[in-house]
Amino acid sequence: MPSSPLCLSLCGVALQNPVIAASGTFGFGHEYAEILDVSRLGGISGKGLTLHGSAGNKGVRVYETPAGMLNSIGMENPGVQHFVDREAAFMRALGPAVIANLGGHCEEDYLEGTRLLNGADIDILELNISCPNVKAGGMALGMLPDTAADITRKVKAVSRHPVMVKLSPNASELVRVARACQEAGADALSLVNTILGMAIDVKEKCAVFDNIYAGLSGPAILPIALRMVHQVAHAVSIPVVGLGGIASAEDALKFMMAGARAVQIGTMSFANPSAMLEVIDGLAGYCASEGLSNLQEIVGII
Amino acid sequence: MAIIQSNQQIAQGIWRMAISGAPTGRAGQFFMLRVPGAVNLLLGRPISICQSDAGTGETTFVYQTVGRGTAQFATLKPGQEIDAQGPYGNGFSLKEGHTVIIGGGIGTAPLLQLAKELRVGDPDRRIDVYLGFREESYLENAFELYADSVTVKRGGFVTGDVDFSLNAQYYACGPAPMLRAVANAAEKANATLFLSLEKHMACGVGACLGCTCQTNGGRKRICKDGPVFDYREVRDAI
Ligand SMILES: Cc1cc2nc3c(=O)[nH]c(=O)nc-3n(C[C@H](O)[C@H](O)[C@H](O)COP(=O)(O)OP(=O)(O)OC[C@H]3O[C@@H](n4cnc5c(N)ncnc54)[C@H](O)[C@@H]3O)c2cc1C
Ligand SMILES: Cc1cc2nc3c(=O)[nH]c(=O)nc-3n(C[C@H](O)[C@H](O)[C@H](O)COP(=O)(O)O)c2cc1C
Ligand code: FES
Repeated sequence: MPSSPLCLSLCGVALQNPVIAASGTFGFGHEYAEILDVSRLGGISGKGLTLHGSAGNKGVRVYETPAGMLNSIGMENPGVQHFVDREAAFMRALGPAVIANLGGHCEEDYLEGTRLLNGADIDILELNISCPNVKAGGMALGMLPDTAADITRKVKAVSRHPVMVKLSPNASELVRVARACQEAGADALSLVNTILGMAIDVKEKCAVFDNIYAGLSGPAILPIALRMVHQVAHAVSIPVVGLGGIASAEDALKFMMAGARAVQIGTMSFANPSAMLEVIDGLAGYCASEGLSNLQEIVGII
Repeated sequence: MAIIQSNQQIAQGIWRMAISGAPTGRAGQFFMLRVPGAVNLLLGRPISICQSDAGTGETTFVYQTVGRGTAQFATLKPGQEIDAQGPYGNGFSLKEGHTVIIGGGIGTAPLLQLAKELRVGDPDRRIDVYLGFREESYLENAFELYADSVTVKRGGFVTGDVDFSLNAQYYACGPAPMLRAVANAAEKANATLFLSLEKHMACGVGACLGCTCQTNGGRKRICKDGPVFDYREVRDAI
């Protein structure tokens, strides 16, 4: 049987299609497994982990904005060891490629987290140096080429899994950060994480979020994310995974034409839990109607 | 996709919407309602089941127009489609014996289905209902069908009228200050009390951690592990 036109290899990992659930929007897969056939996904990136776990931020955490949402979850998570002991095997059993998303507050946390993840059956480690919702570490490391390269190099030296670095759209020199991560040994890049935003409750005369600023995602950010994926994909030779506001197969195709080998979908799953499955079906239909033997043929054509 | 059967204003800023074509749920569960294709209004709005009829497959909601999403719901006409994801959440667990139900404002909506299920489960039990409204009241006639007594208070908290020393189960839903008052009173009287909580939600299924709260048993998700909790568990969250 000929291989599916949707299949691809990402950092040496075989994916049945390029549609991956974005970190923080899909838990560890349990919840959506109750309501849809998650085995059809290309991959699942689990909730962002920190070494010791975290209760996350106080106050309002999610807030809708026109065609998008702001979140200030603050990396609530059960800790890396809990993931290794209790979640990784469950995620593996779901079928799609297993991606562990690792955040942290300092270098030592990242490295110890990476060591613990070496003991888990995962496919890819997604190094999150782009979370805007934690005070120390988090996004700070992803803002400058030097710090991003430094943490990438150190994690690469420890990790037995391929490392995909998740970049922040809030870095002023995003392309330089991307190149620095490639030079430091990153196996792939994913972008974008959320864009720093803000909401104000005019009636109460206060900021909506306790942290004042929060991360914007959803269709509202798509054109910005697309431009960034295009810039980065043209500046590096390692695979790029694109995300930011994808709601349809057409949106996914835009990111792939801009240079992404695969895509992730986050916020849209909240609005429509079957969004990712609809995108997979749409991509298959596109290959058939365009006569493509593999969807990767369109990657980076623009 | 569910179809709207009716959508009418029943009091100032309060609407009742009936839909068919969605799975029916239990008292205390909710749906994430969303107008299909409205990408501008991206997220579903959590709205509780007010009445659920497994026979006809109809679910009724009562909602207050407070912002963009609920204002959009109020423009919908019978025959139009609405995306109703759910039913989600744990729902009320039905206890035996004398029951006291306390609702504040739009928090009365999920309690109607509770009263109905309690009555259907035991025709002989005693059910006392206390409803508080800031101004105009609604739904009290519907409660009369299932309750032995319905006490309505307009302006001010209804909580002061409730005797918490009865040998009864207490259920409450309403604004946070009311829930705190009820929890304090229940604690003094060592009563059994279940609260339905609310928080802003994105997914409604337990995946985004947008709605978690601190409980005695660790962090819990209001959408998935709740929205109904034993008040003792969530003292720090209300
Ligand atoms: C489990 C649960 C059950 C509910 N049941 C009912 C019900 O039966 N009837 C009813 O009228 N209301 C109910 N609510 C509250 C209802 O969800 C909000 O009033 C509604 O989401 C407001 O949307 P909006 O777009 O009109 O307001 P906006 O203020 O414009 O909404 C902006 C964003 O904030 C969210 N939001 C605003 N207020 C609330 C709130 N109080 N709770 C949760 N999210 C909020 C919205 O969902 C939206 O994402 C329930 C809430 C929860 C959590
Ligand atoms: C509620 C929520 C939680 C998130 N948590 C994480 C996280 O833990 N780690 C991470 O790398 N990204 C996290 N993100 C960012 C998403 O993975 C994604 O990069 C971003 O939302 C853009 O994609 P989208 O527009 O498809 O949602 C989160 C996003 C949302 C909305
Ligand atoms: S709303 Fe997403 S976890 Fe509760």
